[in-house]
Amino acid sequence: MNRLINAITLKGLPARDIKNANLANLWIFAWAGTLAIISFLSKYDWYASVLPTTIGIVVHVGIGVGMMLAYKRLLKHLDEMERKIQLESMALSVGMTLVGFSTYSILDKAGFVPELKPAFLIMLMGFTYIGGLIIGRIRYR
Amino acid sequence: MKNRLKVLRAERDWTQADLAHELEVSRQTIIAIEKEKFDPSLPLAFKAARLFGLSIEDIFQDELPF
Repeated sequence: MNRLINAITLKGLPARDIKNANLANLWIFAWAGTLAIISFLSKYDWYASVLPTTIGIVVHVGIGVGMMLAYKRLLKHLDEMERKIQLESMALSVGMTLVGFSTYSILDKAGFVPELKPAFLIMLMGFTYIGGLIIGRIRYR
Repeated sequence: MKNRLKVLRAERDWTQADLAHELEVSRQTIIAIEKEKFDPSLPLAFKAARLFGLSIEDIFQDELPF
């Protein structure tokens, strides 16, 4: 149980890496927040004209780019074992999302499941990535 | 891959944190290398060799037979 808690709380990582990870997490939350706000406003015809749509897209993409740069910075400064854990988690996340998406598409076309929402894919990516990080940290410690 | 990192560290009375600081990696990485759960990269192996004043083969041994 201690190993699980240590894996989740980043115990043992240098303070600089924890700071970079927290910064990347803030960008991720901001990006997810803009996605949620844009999705919410689109229900009320907020994006019926070009200007609000452009503003929404620019803000969302801008924060998305910030998120990627923050993550790149995190990866650059990590030591080699933690970087390996991160890359393995990303590989797991991408693989699971591809397989999950293709399987869901087949079931969707066959009429067994409702139409796929993009938010499900983002959630699948997020959960498999976090799961991969926890598994990796437990395995190497 | 087998290694003598733990023995060499103990001979010098260094903690895992000391070694981690010298090699510029996290303490978790030192633990994983000592437990032979993680194989270091060649640059890190060279760094360890320089630190202990030994060759890489004196610290790390391949488990595969020739």
